[in-house]
Amino acid sequence: MSKAQIHVTVNGTVYEAAVEPRLTLADFLRGDLNLTGTHVGCEHGVCGACTVLVDGRAVRSCLMLAVQADGREIATVESLAASDGRLHPIQEAFAEEHGLQCGFCTPGFLLAVHELLDHNPDPTEELIRDVLGGQLCRCTGYQSILRAVHLAAAKVRAVRTADAHA
Amino acid sequence: MAIEIPNRLEDLPVEELRWVGRHVRRREDPSLLTGRTEFIDDVVLPGMLHCAILRSPFPHARITGIDATQAEAAPGVTAVVTGADAQLWCNPARTAPEGWGTLCLATDKVRYVGEPVAAVAASSRYLAEDALELIEVDYEPLDPVVDPFAAMDPESPLVIEDKGTNVMLQRVFTWGEVDRALAEAAQVFTESFRWNRLGANPTETFGAVCAWDPLTLDLTVHGSIQSPSSFGLGRAADLGIPSNKVNVKSHPHGGSFGGKGGARGATIACLLSRKADGKPVKWIEDRTEYLTAGGSQAWDRHYEASLAVDEDARVTALAVTLVDDLGATGEGFGAISAAKPLAAFTGPYTIPVARYDLTLVATNKVPASPYRGMGPPPHFFVLEQMMDIAARGLAIDPAEFRRRNFIPPDQFPYTIPSGNEYDSGSYEEVLDSALDLAGYEELRKLQAEARTEGRIVGVGVASAIEPGVFDWNAYAIVGMPQTGVPEGATVSVDITGMITVRVGFALEGQGQYTLVSQLVADYFAVEMDAVRVVQLDTQSAPPSFGPGGSRLGVAISGAVLGACRRLAEKLAAVAAGLLRAEPDEIELRDGRFRVKGRPGSEMGVAQLAGTMLARSDLLPPDIDPRPEATHVWTAPGRTAADEEGRAKSYLTAAQAVHVVMVEIDPDTGFVEIVKYALADDCGTRLNPVVVEGQTEGSVAQGIGAALFEEYVYDDRAQPLTTTFMDYLTPTVNDVPALDKAVVVTPSPFTPLGAKGCGEGAIHTTPAAVMCAVNDALAPLGVMAREVPASPHRVWELLRRSEGPS
Ligand code: FES
Ligand code: FES
Repeated sequence: MSKAQIHVTVNGTVYEAAVEPRLTLADFLRGDLNLTGTHVGCEHGVCGACTVLVDGRAVRSCLMLAVQADGREIATVESLAASDGRLHPIQEAFAEEHGLQCGFCTPGFLLAVHELLDHNPDPTEELIRDVLGGQLCRCTGYQSILRAVHLAAAKVRAVRTADAHA
Repeated sequence: MAIEIPNRLEDLPVEELRWVGRHVRRREDPSLLTGRTEFIDDVVLPGMLHCAILRSPFPHARITGIDATQAEAAPGVTAVVTGADAQLWCNPARTAPEGWGTLCLATDKVRYVGEPVAAVAASSRYLAEDALELIEVDYEPLDPVVDPFAAMDPESPLVIEDKGTNVMLQRVFTWGEVDRALAEAAQVFTESFRWNRLGANPTETFGAVCAWDPLTLDLTVHGSIQSPSSFGLGRAADLGIPSNKVNVKSHPHGGSFGGKGGARGATIACLLSRKADGKPVKWIEDRTEYLTAGGSQAWDRHYEASLAVDEDARVTALAVTLVDDLGATGEGFGAISAAKPLAAFTGPYTIPVARYDLTLVATNKVPASPYRGMGPPPHFFVLEQMMDIAARGLAIDPAEFRRRNFIPPDQFPYTIPSGNEYDSGSYEEVLDSALDLAGYEELRKLQAEARTEGRIVGVGVASAIEPGVFDWNAYAIVGMPQTGVPEGATVSVDITGMITVRVGFALEGQGQYTLVSQLVADYFAVEMDAVRVVQLDTQSAPPSFGPGGSRLGVAISGAVLGACRRLAEKLAAVAAGLLRAEPDEIELRDGRFRVKGRPGSEMGVAQLAGTMLARSDLLPPDIDPRPEATHVWTAPGRTAADEEGRAKSYLTAAQAVHVVMVEIDPDTGFVEIVKYALADDCGTRLNPVVVEGQTEGSVAQGIGAALFEEYVYDDRAQPLTTTFMDYLTPTVNDVPALDKAVVVTPSPFTPLGAKGCGEGAIHTTPAAVMCAVNDALAPLGVMAREVPASPHRVWELLRRSEGPS
């Protein structure tokens, strides 16, 4: 099958790659770039495990083709923690509130929450439920995830306030 | 020498516990949160090929021809296997009941939609799937066996012809004088129920990478495998090789809940590997494969139950008839779900006699598998509906009726008619906690008000037992004669005093490596960071079953504490030599080995280990200089099952009471949960935050079970729920806020008094939700007898309640 040339930025690194047009973005990230933190739970757009950020928006990477990512900027779960290993406030909040059990759904949740808090660091419970409604978790029953998102919002707000005063 | 395992927290050798019993953050989280944990689909081995499986589109058809020559020549393809290869290299799958297995690839006929027919190994999954399109299979469709009652008809088509019947097992178990109790009862209530197929659906499906050397026949299997040792034995049996040729390495997996499955797919990947000269072959099941034909589908049940009650509103007998549709073969071990209710047949009640009329039937559906709870959740759904029906009949409040029939605290250990022994419990206290927390009286008031407004509102109160720490003997009636399920751990100290614990199971979400670290850190009074937990593959690990049957928390605690104790004895012997004392004069306290009654005469763990490893000149003679010990724990006091299936099987019996309020939308039949409160008692909580997480997750699964999860087949046995658009698992918007209360009655028989709690709330939730639904419907003169009570079913009932129009 003929290949197409793409140019993408993933977690700040620029990649030039030749890919089959039918290759999904999820398979490109996992297989070609070895960024295996993005998980695949259904491959039909329902579970949200494969969620990544494309130009800052949460996207299901199983429903997008790698060729569609040409010229775009992508962030995966591997980009969240600092290079010295310090966890991102959202990750911290999930750890503190036991917002994960098996952790397979978690990268998708983290990125969906990331997008939410980027736009609104003080979301209502309703808005949180709205956003999380598209992410399936079979382990936690969601209660601890809701607690984690509230805590994450508080942490993100605190960081922003600190930054504003710096 | 018997090793004593402390049954109480106070028996640990420290003044103050720093880790055990406290909310401890999980050690496994940082790597999960950063995407570093290596799940099976992340594994890449040199030369690895990718497998795709061709599956039957028919529920029942004869295979008259198969041609794979084009696929073999397709780009990237290294190997193709069909039923002919399976005939050459495989045995029929081992099953429960015995003798209901087939080969991993269909040969003469297919028996369910999705049954594997051929498979391809290619350089990528994309190319493997391309090649499947080139395989030609000729089918001659046969009449499918769909309904288990029709399947029992001698004229029915047969799923497995050689068996001469579709009935896998039919037996009546009678425990006590049931007929007499029914005849002498003040009242007998009888009702029938239907529980439809549902299943685990962990967020990660099954996956494996298999490498089978065609010359040596050595087999290595990496996989998302819940029970590596059993899985290894299964592959050895499938492939007809000695068990010590198989090495299984499980990877952390994205949930399991008993329904990970994967046995067939792994065996197929093994065949492909052998044909591809031993190259590793990766098989990752996709969601549609999982939903269509994976190891998920459980509990397809038709029930009839009778409950006898005396003049004092005490239940005097329970009789249950179950026809369980196990699908095409016994390979998924779904039969154990029909046996497990024996471990808690009469629930939390003092019902003195019981009968179980059990029929297991084969049909052209996917072979049934286990799912969280493994059978009791539907059984308790039935028992608790019967309790409500009786309470309604006797005009007693359902909570009071349960209270009257609870096993009182002073009767433990309590043996139930089906033979198991419950370790301990405080059922009334749990009931009162749940009622208080829910504001039960207030809920009843609100309900009465709502009813005057014409709203359809109900309150359910249900109680159930969670059997904990499974034993094979619980499943003796379906062909599992073993007693005891060993779990081992090795604890070693290195020359710098750092501690490593080696175990045989992988992570799947319940935080067990954290638990192991807590236990060791408190035992030797070190920081949790000083303890590392390492997973071994089956060729190196001590005997291990892994998670399952609400056992691992208790079992691994026994293994780790036993190993710590053995290690402490070794270190004490060294300390005695160095401190010139007798070994029995040495005691371990707060991480120090000290000579009793001789203050200042003491040594630390690191110092002793260092001496063992680096100062052989100082060691007493005949000392084994390894600062390391292994302990293999099995539940004490288990017994082999008798003729009627009675055994001391599950070691612990956790108990819970859930109180639920629902409101039903009269226009849509949609059931909304407006209040959910629960109290539960699973003994000592070793890491309370983890226990709570298990409860919350299990409630969500129970709500899915009660209200919408269902594998639907049409009347020709075609599956209709093959994507997440059709099979509905709960989202955040389906799960209400939970109020939770905790009662702690430590088990007298287990390490630190903990009881099995991993399966948890799903034992009670479907029962409680359905009690609430039926409480709401009762004034309308209709009853929801079928689970799930999905909107269309409830709407049907509402329409019927209005009478013929
Ligand atoms: S894998 Fe993409 S939504 Fe499920
Ligand atoms: S933590 Fe397992 S699926 Fe969410």
